[in-house]
Amino acid sequence: MRRPLRGSVLVLALLALVPALIGVTVAHAATGVYIESPPEGSPIFGPTEVKVQVSGDEAVTQVELFVNGKLMGTAAKAPYTFRFDAGDENVKRDLKIVAHMVSGSTAIATRTSQPVQIDDTMDLRLQQLFVTVTRGEQRALDLGQDDFRIADNGKEQKIVTFGKGELPLTAVLLLDTSESMQGERLEGVRRGATAFLQGMKPLDEAAVLMFSDRLLKITPFSEDKAVIARALANTQAAGGTAVNDFLYMSLKLLEPRLGRRVVILLSDGSDVHSVVPMSDVLWKTRTGQAMIYWIQLEGGEKHHSYASAWRNSKENDKEYDSLEKAVVESGGRIQRIDKVTELEGAFRGILQELREQYVIGYYPNDVRKDGRWHDIRVGVDHFGVKVRSRDGYVDF
Amino acid sequence: MISIRVRIPHPRLPSCSGTAAAIILLCLGSAARAQEPVDPFANPGAVTAAPSQPSGRLSKRDMQDAVQNKYRQILAAWAGGQTERAAGDLMTLETSVVHDDDPGSRKRLLKAEEAIIHEIGGANMETLVPIAMLHHEVYRRYLQHGAKGRSLLLVHSRGMTRDLAMLYKEQSGSQGAAMVSSRILTSLGGLLQQYAQQLPAAEMFYRAMDMDPRNTAAMMGLAIVYEKNSQYQSAVDMLNKIVAADPAYGEARLRLALNQKRLGRTDEAQKGLQELADAREANWVTSLAAQELARLLCEKSNLGGAQKVLEAAVRRFPEDPRLVVELSSVLDRKGEVRTAQALMEKVVTMKPTTEDSSRLLYNTTRQETFAEARRFLDENAHSRLSLLAEALSVPNHATIAAERVGS
Repeated sequence: MRRPLRGSVLVLALLALVPALIGVTVAHAATGVYIESPPEGSPIFGPTEVKVQVSGDEAVTQVELFVNGKLMGTAAKAPYTFRFDAGDENVKRDLKIVAHMVSGSTAIATRTSQPVQIDDTMDLRLQQLFVTVTRGEQRALDLGQDDFRIADNGKEQKIVTFGKGELPLTAVLLLDTSESMQGERLEGVRRGATAFLQGMKPLDEAAVLMFSDRLLKITPFSEDKAVIARALANTQAAGGTAVNDFLYMSLKLLEPRLGRRVVILLSDGSDVHSVVPMSDVLWKTRTGQAMIYWIQLEGGEKHHSYASAWRNSKENDKEYDSLEKAVVESGGRIQRIDKVTELEGAFRGILQELREQYVIGYYPNDVRKDGRWHDIRVGVDHFGVKVRSRDGYVDF
Repeated sequence: MISIRVRIPHPRLPSCSGTAAAIILLCLGSAARAQEPVDPFANPGAVTAAPSQPSGRLSKRDMQDAVQNKYRQILAAWAGGQTERAAGDLMTLETSVVHDDDPGSRKRLLKAEEAIIHEIGGANMETLVPIAMLHHEVYRRYLQHGAKGRSLLLVHSRGMTRDLAMLYKEQSGSQGAAMVSSRILTSLGGLLQQYAQQLPAAEMFYRAMDMDPRNTAAMMGLAIVYEKNSQYQSAVDMLNKIVAADPAYGEARLRLALNQKRLGRTDEAQKGLQELADAREANWVTSLAAQELARLLCEKSNLGGAQKVLEAAVRRFPEDPRLVVELSSVLDRKGEVRTAQALMEKVVTMKPTTEDSSRLLYNTTRQETFAEARRFLDENAHSRLSLLAEALSVPNHATIAAERVGS
């Protein structure tokens, strides 16, 4: 008799101990509650399923689910499965299961979900592509989701979001205001940027960054066109040119923004005075999702080599080539114009192009965070169309 | 009596009635003009229009006399402290005579000016210094006006300054004269460098150093020419000499470190940059040393080291957005994305700067590099103005001849 009794005590003791270790409180010696899913510490978003196991001899009358103290559901019989909408907020959530027994006693289990760390977002990242499709000189605006094919490192991807260009955009107008832009040129820049602002729609946002070898003016992102226009009005052109530094800054400022992001760089020359090398800007372009459009005032067809105390002409040529590469890889383009009077049209044209882009999203199926380059190919099943989009991205 | 060697032979003046008439008009009218800056390119017709009187062709001799007489008047104005008038009139005279489409025109002007210089310099060679400074000032103004299409004029003006400086040194042979001449050429080289004429600038710096081997401004000018032409070893050699002569010359030490880096001597470069970044003085050299040291460390994959350097620099220069941008890029590379982001947001709230950035200053020929040379020259030229006035007080045959033509 003593031996079986001892064994029962031992079993009961273990039953009391083990659930405690896994977050279960037992009110009745013979009854236990265990949350099967979601696992401890995992993030919870949107539609969520909670599976509960109740063990013991005593009959269960009801099992309740509380989320952050609020009753979210009840179940009278097994299997005890709850479904609820946790919402999109990236926060910690406390789940509590309360099992009521026939005797009036209760058993409780708890679990805490953790928010997703921002550094981990790349795993869940939706890769968005902004695709310009032209047929001859005109943009092709009659395409549907089924017309597009996306290949990521040669593997076809499933398109999960598809839209046309009327999505809000966030833009940085990055305006070279160096000494060479004095007078008529600066006036042209103001008119061009103003034309862009006038074309913005209610949910669009923009910031203005006027630079030379130093920061001359910057505004926060705003929907208020008047705020941005005021910044444009009172700036004098002065100093040299540091494209890399302020392009990097623009890309960085756009990084936490959602949706379509674009830098519109206006400059009559190339970088001379930056501390950030163009290789860093290129890396930032490849790891981000912003597009770069470069309006090159009096750019001509060929870049003129030059030397400075910072770089010789060969190194400067390399920087220039890398800037061109960053623009093209980002899915933007270079627009060379010869006259100041063409600036307004250039700004309007870019805005129009953005409005007429297809916005395609997919979850890359081979994310490794290994810093490798992912080559993107966008195909359209139509004859005679030209497609322009981001060339790829760094898996980082 | 000091004999003055003339480097360029004197060609005889050909008949040139239009130019001669313009010069005579200039001679007649200039005395009445107020002392104010003159822009000869703004309205060149004012001195080249046909005169109402006297009319007709002038002899070569009359023409030369008219130019010489005008040149004497200009020197007299310069000696009398009428800086603006003298410089403006010399520009107008030279612009009237020298034309790019007539290569002989420069020789004619040179012959006329040299005749006066012979005469005055022969009386007292110390007068060559203020005359050289007048031509230096006129050259500066030509460059400032952007004398496009006036290459012969620029060559003449620059050549006059250079030759006068060399003549003074050669004729005097004293150590003091060598120092003065060396500084004239250094200042001229600085002007040329400011207007991106690297090779003519190098010539001036070479000559200046030849005259005074301790002229650190000329050495610095030459080192910058080497640097801008990717001759990094020559730049390092020159900068080592400067630092040996003046160990406290921060800019020279900075340039030395950066050129060592370009030659792959990164340990030396790092040491030099670290010393400058840690220096007590907080100026553009300190800020730039920190930026470049951080870049060097990044290139050595020492992102943590770069971060420390930049964080210290941001504490010293909290209003410099460039340092914050660089720090943000380093943190980004380290994977500290959110901190990098927060820094960039901070830049948005910064007050825009009105001063040239340290990186622009490094790439610009700054007047302060040659300020000491110019101050030295101004003092020397000023002290000799009375000698020039005295030498000019004796009328010569050109003055008399011009008066005869005018009457």
